[in-house]
Amino acid sequence: MLNLIKKEIALCVHPTAFIFLFFAVLVFVPNYPYEVIFFFSCLSIFFCCMMTRENGDIAFSCALPVKKEHIPFAKMLVVFGLQCIILLLVGVIAAIKGAVLPAEQYVNQAGISANLVLVGNGAILLGTFNLIFFPCYFKKPDKIGVPFVIGAIVVFFVIVVFIVLRWVTPLYSTTLNGLNSENTGAKSVALAIGIVIYAVLSAVSCKLSIKNFQRVDL
Amino acid sequence: MNALEVRELTKVYPEFTLDKVSFFVKQGHISGLIGRNGVGKSTTIKGILRLINAEGSVSVFGKDFLKEEMVVKQTIGYVGGGFRYYPMNTLAAIRKAYAPFYSTWNQSKYEKFLSQFELIESKKIKELSEGMKVKFALALALSHGAKLLIMDEPTSGLDPLSREEFCDIILQLVGEEGVSVLFSTHITSDLMRIADDIVYISQGKILAACPLACPLKELLCKYKLAHFSSLADASAVNAIGVKAVKKGYEGLLPRDMQISESIAVTDATIDNIIVHLEKENEEKKHVKSN
Repeated sequence: MLNLIKKEIALCVHPTAFIFLFFAVLVFVPNYPYEVIFFFSCLSIFFCCMMTRENGDIAFSCALPVKKEHIPFAKMLVVFGLQCIILLLVGVIAAIKGAVLPAEQYVNQAGISANLVLVGNGAILLGTFNLIFFPCYFKKPDKIGVPFVIGAIVVFFVIVVFIVLRWVTPLYSTTLNGLNSENTGAKSVALAIGIVIYAVLSAVSCKLSIKNFQRVDL
Repeated sequence: MNALEVRELTKVYPEFTLDKVSFFVKQGHISGLIGRNGVGKSTTIKGILRLINAEGSVSVFGKDFLKEEMVVKQTIGYVGGGFRYYPMNTLAAIRKAYAPFYSTWNQSKYEKFLSQFELIESKKIKELSEGMKVKFALALALSHGAKLLIMDEPTSGLDPLSREEFCDIILQLVGEEGVSVLFSTHITSDLMRIADDIVYISQGKILAACPLACPLKELLCKYKLAHFSSLADASAVNAIGVKAVKKGYEGLLPRDMQISESIAVTDATIDNIIVHLEKENEEKKHVKSN
């Protein structure tokens, strides 16, 4: 498995996957729907899958001394790793923003502020994308466009839901909004819920993807 | 013990069926998998390597492929018609990713092959000629000590000189390294040059005339090519796969068949045998469907 992961990183990860990690700094942009940062992470998965297809990577990997089910698992582990890095970076850079900017500049008029809840929301978005995209992709690894478009539509829908929640519910607009130092307990719970949802959705996605990939004829 | 044993390999597609294909490859032998385009040669190879979900069993050096997949794959070198993977990567990058999968990877052997095949590791795959791509695939496959080479049309797209060079390399490998080889091709001159045995697939089945890995000479000795002046003459002796040619008709006859001296016969080449057996098969299929 470790060798497969190394091969993935060396030969299949598109450079944008690393470049888009730096988009975490977008949390410094005033009045911006910060959840969109996580969409770039989804976009990099699309590029990686394109690269996999153009390189004939799946056929190459299947001929290696590995079990067939290890191939989707390794690819997904690499993606999960990248997703965890973007979540971490957003959390860290958001905390830096909170520490260096005055409180009035910290308020986001386009959605939730850059805080722990944003990281939780991001985790839910990424988990949702994983659940939709990967099982569909590993059913027909040559068809990347349709799974991505469906995944992207759902991700944007969930982003809209988060933005609406920010404006219509007191929980999101007051309790979970603003600096991490305010209502830290509630924000931590929201983050934890997001991470749990991400883990569950990604695990289900993994299981379905492996099952679908077993049936694929290369 | 055979290097490869394939038993009743079956794969059903809506438009094509690979029907209970069974054959074996003897240790140290070169077996050619032949047949026209689309008869199931690549499907057979994919079935052997479990790249497709096919029924039937495959064993390599006595080990069941499914039960001991990881061990079996360590002994196989797969060359899928050149090297179509990672065109933008260098040979070195691919080798670095590939080698750790094989516990028996031999770096000095790999470097020896690179120098023998005149490959430069800093080059990208897209910069290699088709012949060089095949050589790189061979270098990778052989440097982990593969005892069985499975190749899917490795010589298609190669010029005659590169094909000749490829055949020389394979013969050298079999002679020096003792590897066994199964390769699919529709270039019969390559087959005649290096193959010990043939496995002849037609319409998804091993042809009845050659049910198992069949000594090539045996197949060539089985038929003669008869030239007839009329279709009636050909029908009278039940010639196989009769077809019109520039002057009259041609068909295959069993070599031991007694025929009148008025019928001209010559030695059948492998091309003749394939063409006429395929024609016979098509006619039978046509009769059945009517």
